[in-house]
Amino acid sequence: MTANFIYFSIFLASVATYCCRAFGIFSAKNVSVDSIIFQWIKCISVGIISAVIAKIILFPAGLLAETSFSSRLFSTGVAIAIYFLFKKNVILSIFVSTMTFLIINFYI
Amino acid sequence: MINWLSFTNGIRHAVGIPVIGLGTSMFAFGAYLKSSGFDLLQSLSSTLFTFALPGQFVMAETIVAGGTFLNIFLAVLLTNARLYPMTVNLIPIIRHPHYPKWKYYCLAHVIAITAWFNMIAVHKKLPQEDKFDYFLGLGGFLWMSSVVCTVLGYLVSHLVSYETLVGFVFINPIYFLIMTLSNLKEKKLIFSIIAGAILSVILFHYIPDWSVFVAGLVAGTLGFIIFKKETYDS
Repeated sequence: MTANFIYFSIFLASVATYCCRAFGIFSAKNVSVDSIIFQWIKCISVGIISAVIAKIILFPAGLLAETSFSSRLFSTGVAIAIYFLFKKNVILSIFVSTMTFLIINFYI
Repeated sequence: MINWLSFTNGIRHAVGIPVIGLGTSMFAFGAYLKSSGFDLLQSLSSTLFTFALPGQFVMAETIVAGGTFLNIFLAVLLTNARLYPMTVNLIPIIRHPHYPKWKYYCLAHVIAITAWFNMIAVHKKLPQEDKFDYFLGLGGFLWMSSVVCTVLGYLVSHLVSYETLVGFVFINPIYFLIMTLSNLKEKKLIFSIIAGAILSVILFHYIPDWSVFVAGLVAGTLGFIIFKKETYDS
């Protein structure tokens, strides 16, 4: 792969990404926060984000793919449990979950 | 003219958990690009001009796998298609007649999951005329810090242990998960979130490239239809 190939790939990736955003701006011009379409799009947005999270945790690529499936699943459960048990403490749930994940994968 | 108070309040919002949640993954991404044969300027350009981590990752993977330009464009388009509904959802929230159209098209570049979630979480507490600049500060700071973290990951990842890098990558989905949980206030959203996760797992085996977008579309539409009464009530 040449340097020019990579730069043009970055350019294409940037155009593809910006198209999604720009088309969103264009489509939103007649959508108001009181409309039914706004409520529908809100549901789709959170649905897609939860799908992204599930995909990253259960079918990851890169470094996470080298870790065990059960460790990712268990640590995710720990994050949810800590979040609700400790008054929705975001920092604590992320910290404990990540530590659990690392301990299972590298120290047990 | 920028309302600097709103802009700096947005930056202040980004400093802390949002920057850590995104920055650690960008750091690991910088390390990944280095190990994949990218140079520093290419790594910096990727985050500067794309700023959507899953799409950037797919781009790098497709290049390494020997994909064509068409492969790269379509793979990134599909991966980042989630930004479309997120943008349609965000713009009516921050819109104000004071701002011309072209400014929204400039602002679009900093719309990504972390900034979106954090804006959705606080927008009801902000005056309508302040929301645009607040989001500009929030998203803009996350964008710039992501560029810095990608560069740092490229330059100093050899000083960080493999275990730490793996931990960094895991923080991002867990942060998104916790932000999603904080959104569990309406039945239609709870349904959409749970159904989106389950459907994506099922669909991944049949349509891996489309699974996320289709799962979110179906789950969100079902949630909206099943709890339509709640929609009218709210």
